[in-house]
Amino acid sequence: MLVLCGCAERDRAWKRADELWQRRDPAAFTAWKSLNPSTNEGARAHAALARADDEYRRGIALLSGGDDAQARTLLAEASRRAPIDPALYLPLARACRARGLDGRAAAMYRKYLAQKGVSGAGDVAAARRELGELGDDIGAPFEPPPEAPMPAVWVWGPSLLAAAALVALALVIAPWRRRRRASLEALAADHPELQPAIAFLVGCLRHELLKHRIIAVGDAVRAVAEGKLDDKERRFLLTRLYGGEPLAVAWAGHLGAFMRALGPRIDLVRRDPAFAAAGRAIDAIAGAEAGLGRGDSDAAARVLEAHGRLRAFDAALGGFTTRLQHTVVDGALLDAMVGDVRRELGHAPVEIVMTAPAGGVAVECYHFDLTLVLRNVVRNAVAAAANGPEPGRVAIDVAVALEPTGDEIVRIRVRDTNPSPLPAPAQALEARGLTLVRAALARCDGSLSVEAGGDGFAKCVVVRLFRALSAAEVAA
Amino acid sequence: MRRLVVIEDGDEYAEFARVFLSELEIEAAHSAADARVVLRARGADALLIDLRFDRAPAAALVGDVTATAARLFAGDSERALRYLQDEQGTLILADLRAAGFAHPALFVHDFPPRRLANLRRLYGDVDAVPALDAAAIRAALGRSA
Repeated sequence: MLVLCGCAERDRAWKRADELWQRRDPAAFTAWKSLNPSTNEGARAHAALARADDEYRRGIALLSGGDDAQARTLLAEASRRAPIDPALYLPLARACRARGLDGRAAAMYRKYLAQKGVSGAGDVAAARRELGELGDDIGAPFEPPPEAPMPAVWVWGPSLLAAAALVALALVIAPWRRRRRASLEALAADHPELQPAIAFLVGCLRHELLKHRIIAVGDAVRAVAEGKLDDKERRFLLTRLYGGEPLAVAWAGHLGAFMRALGPRIDLVRRDPAFAAAGRAIDAIAGAEAGLGRGDSDAAARVLEAHGRLRAFDAALGGFTTRLQHTVVDGALLDAMVGDVRRELGHAPVEIVMTAPAGGVAVECYHFDLTLVLRNVVRNAVAAAANGPEPGRVAIDVAVALEPTGDEIVRIRVRDTNPSPLPAPAQALEARGLTLVRAALARCDGSLSVEAGGDGFAKCVVVRLFRALSAAEVAA
Repeated sequence: MRRLVVIEDGDEYAEFARVFLSELEIEAAHSAADARVVLRARGADALLIDLRFDRAPAAALVGDVTATAARLFAGDSERALRYLQDEQGTLILADLRAAGFAHPALFVHDFPPRRLANLRRLYGDVDAVPALDAAAIRAALGRSA
């Protein structure tokens, strides 16, 4: 019991220290330092701190000496390894300031000033003055995200054999996993069930990083390249591009989200040339921070070129997700649906009439989701009509209406002749089916409602979707 | 100096316009009601409208959440509210047109061509640029001048 309590306490201490670091809280350094070095976590933390401290100090020296590239590499490595000693905030702020990295300098000055008792009052006053001289709010955190946290418990002794077995298994699995890795388009084509997740992740990447941070600064970058940037525009450029989370970190964060959500099947950097090229463009922009800050036209030209590549990348991603999210409702789709249902229900004695829109109408819904929903609705209608008054009939039609938002609403109506209301799901399987239908409809912002049938039909189930107003369908 | 009324739920578009469209007089409005007041008091040459208003309070939105929920979302008020927020710019334009303001309207959104055609059918002089790009905004405002 005592051992268990010790483990629990040790785990809590490490968990707290790790959480502070993940949040980039300045208290992370102290929390790491206070871990007991006689525990496995503590020993690893202290070793990482010592190594990172050396890297931070060498990085600051290199930055002060003008070797920005080497400094960037060392500081990034250090900050992935362990928290920075708050005593280094001020020298790092000054080194950044000397190299024209105003945004990063401001962030470091603020972190320094937020610390109590790090240094003498004279330094605090000087830091306040130096921060004030930097101008507006252009602060940005320096550090990239930490590497995956250390395991909370590192098991030695009897588990060495198990660890060795895991390593051997990993060696066998790794090449297999590498072979399975695919580009995003290939993954979406092979796994339609992943399409909603892929579209969501691409949407986040486009709106959070590409559109709002990068594409939005095109005018300012062009102004730098033409030597016409004024102070207001410079502040806008630096804040938008280099304020907040560093670009490389934000990019890595989005790629990480793809990996976490889609699993090891996806390796965007190695297997997807478009993502690899976009990553290089991000690096080019990140590396031009000091040059852009100085108004250097060569740096602006590099950023402009990278900006153009990322703009094209964003447009390609937009086209890709549009293709994923659009499905054409036409005679062929309805025929296939009805054929499936007839086979499933053993050719129920029901007359089915379909009226498909001429040329079809594209809806904003994944093909996978739409077929799931329609198959359920049509199956229920055919089953109901077969069990209702004879002759059992089902009618399927599609209507389109314009909304005040400029959207068009597509209503796929499935009517049947059975006057009984839709039964509640009787079995777990049916309940699960209903849950899947609801989830599929929620993904495409659709809905399901029941109305009066009309024209001799008892009831009408309406699947409401938004029309996909893609470029191919410009109003005549 | 031409006057541009910027209608958005935050300050980003107005901030951008003041920096990069400094030849224009910029005035901001944050709702349809705000915009009506501004247009009645001082007029405008054009409107620059944000599409999404997800930071605006529900009470300030154009559109009836309950009616929208019943009509489009099987009674789901949360989704109806989100829809009204996401498409609020177009609904504000509908409100302004109904109040008699026929000013050229410019959205910053990459509408599909058919949606833009629909908006023109409904609201007359409407244009859109896909991103905050001063040259594109100037060109679009020039077209409607």
